[in-house]
Amino acid sequence: MGVRSKGLAFISLFAIGLASVASAHAEQRFDGVVLRVATFGGSNKDVLDAAVSPKFAALGGKIEWVTGSPQSNLAKLIAARGKAPFDTMEILDAQLPDFAASDFLAPLDLEKIPNKQYLEDWQYDGKTMATWLTQETICYNTEKFKELGLPAPTTYKDLAVPALAGRTVIPDITSGGGLANFGGIVYAAGGDLRNVTPGLELIKSLKVLKFWSQGGETVTQFGSGDIYAAVVHAGWCVRAKNAGSPVQTVHPYINAEHTGVHKYGRQGVMKSSENYEAALWYINEYLSIETQTALAVKTGVFPTNKAVIARLGDDPTLKQMLELDPAKISKQLRVDYTDVSISDWVDQWNRSVVTN
Amino acid sequence: MSAGETDIGGMDTPQSGLAARAGRAARWRTRQAVQFWLKWIMVALAYLFLHAPLVVVVGASLNGGGQFAAIQFPPVNPSLEWYFEIPARQFEALWLSFVVGAVAAVGAIAIGVPAALGLVRSNLPGKTFIAVVFRSPLQIPAVVSGIAFLQMYYMIGDATGFYAQGTFIGLAIGHVFIAIPYVVGPVTAILQRFDHRLEEAALSLGASPWRTFRRVTLPVIMPGVYAGGLYAFMVSFGDVPLSIFLTAPGYVTYPVELFFALENDFNPAILASGTLVILFCLAIMILVQRVVGLDTLLRVGGTGKGR
Repeated sequence: MGVRSKGLAFISLFAIGLASVASAHAEQRFDGVVLRVATFGGSNKDVLDAAVSPKFAALGGKIEWVTGSPQSNLAKLIAARGKAPFDTMEILDAQLPDFAASDFLAPLDLEKIPNKQYLEDWQYDGKTMATWLTQETICYNTEKFKELGLPAPTTYKDLAVPALAGRTVIPDITSGGGLANFGGIVYAAGGDLRNVTPGLELIKSLKVLKFWSQGGETVTQFGSGDIYAAVVHAGWCVRAKNAGSPVQTVHPYINAEHTGVHKYGRQGVMKSSENYEAALWYINEYLSIETQTALAVKTGVFPTNKAVIARLGDDPTLKQMLELDPAKISKQLRVDYTDVSISDWVDQWNRSVVTN
Repeated sequence: MSAGETDIGGMDTPQSGLAARAGRAARWRTRQAVQFWLKWIMVALAYLFLHAPLVVVVGASLNGGGQFAAIQFPPVNPSLEWYFEIPARQFEALWLSFVVGAVAAVGAIAIGVPAALGLVRSNLPGKTFIAVVFRSPLQIPAVVSGIAFLQMYYMIGDATGFYAQGTFIGLAIGHVFIAIPYVVGPVTAILQRFDHRLEEAALSLGASPWRTFRRVTLPVIMPGVYAGGLYAFMVSFGDVPLSIFLTAPGYVTYPVELFFALENDFNPAILASGTLVILFCLAIMILVQRVVGLDTLLRVGGTGKGR
């Protein structure tokens, strides 16, 4: 197949996708419906608002955004005993066991989410659909590594060298990327989800400057020259590069089965929602090519829509810093939290890492 | 050595005595100068410690040159461009924070002043326990209070049909709760040192209890009320952990708006809006100082003695 034929095929696929979305919702109206969507604040909400709200308004409805982290929204749900002050919410993979146990989510009518065609099978189940990924990487300053005579790191233990003592940061376990990266470090150190001690020992050997609580800190620290390497998701590394820092990502080698780590966010509809149909419409729109492209380009989070992933390669920075090969993405470590006692992890972290 | 300069029998001559005194005076002057400069260096360091973050915020807000993802200080290409990028919702959130803060201050004063009077002057059994109850908002983590309020609102809603969560009333009640100890504390401190003879004099001269309170007691405790109200406003204005659970679309306070905006990414417009808030607070403080005198308002120790 020639380049032109490939281009035509892609455009056709793109058009079919858009057409299928349009036809699926051609008859649906949401007059007077106020859909409350719980999502992250900042640019994330702004992008979703710009991409989705006008379409919903055209169908007669209105979207109200309840900004907050999934953790605080889960706390609200528990406090409200399931009577959520929102119809649909972002859910982190680490929260899935909590949601499974608490029965807060309504089953999804997958027929009403035609854009699921763009997802891998593992990215949706009966109650949630994956809407974004973050590729957890080692972001490092290429110039500083060169100055220090260090080769590019390939895995976490490559950061445990005297020259990088006090020049590396990793996420605190309670931060957004904390659990996923801790899981990656544990596996890379030879441990597993039930034996995290090797990971804790590896972290202690890194002699980090600090444990970050917000990824944005690392962008500032790369800019000021305080750090030379950070364990952080690729989106932050892209932002550091855009801010002028000479950084590059490495998808760390974990073990023979996995290279790289990712965590993913999902969207679910609350059982207490009175706007179930509108919430399904929202999830479908979230997965659309338009919305997923806007999110990827403007916020740096990785889309789950395969068609959008294929298009990210057009951006040289994203191509350089993100893993775009679906086969390799599927090889990245996804921590299965089903049998993980997160409170036990945090407890061990506090006793071992923080106190040392 | 001349005879006049000779030390005879261990006694200082007038000349050597003068020289010694001059030496002591010089050492004293040096010590004074060192103390003077040390004092000013310490003051300067204290001011630097207190104000350096503000200087960085204000300076970085002037950074120009398009989108950037990190705080840059000192600013490059100084510009006001981020001041024009402040989202309207931040101004709405700021207004809500001021209103909620004012309501919290007034509410805390309305509850805190009678509470302090009761705690100091009554002989109620269990007074110590009641005092602990009024201090409890300081001891309970605000995030726990937030969850407790949210649960309580849902319980009340289930029973009555009125759900206060996500409403202005629900938010204000929570803020009054956390602000009360900041009024009870200063007012109690003043009342404990209150000269009761002033009230006795007023009463013995025929003033009614209410008039005595209004004309004698209240003016004396007023600095504590002002100070408490100001603290209550500040605590409410800066609160995040409680407000996270009580805000809703349309009722998001300024710190919560910023917190969630910063949690996910960084936008320099936040520095610009932060600078405006700093300048606004500074203007208010200057205005209050010029009109009333902050030192008068906050003189908590003045309890009437010697007046």
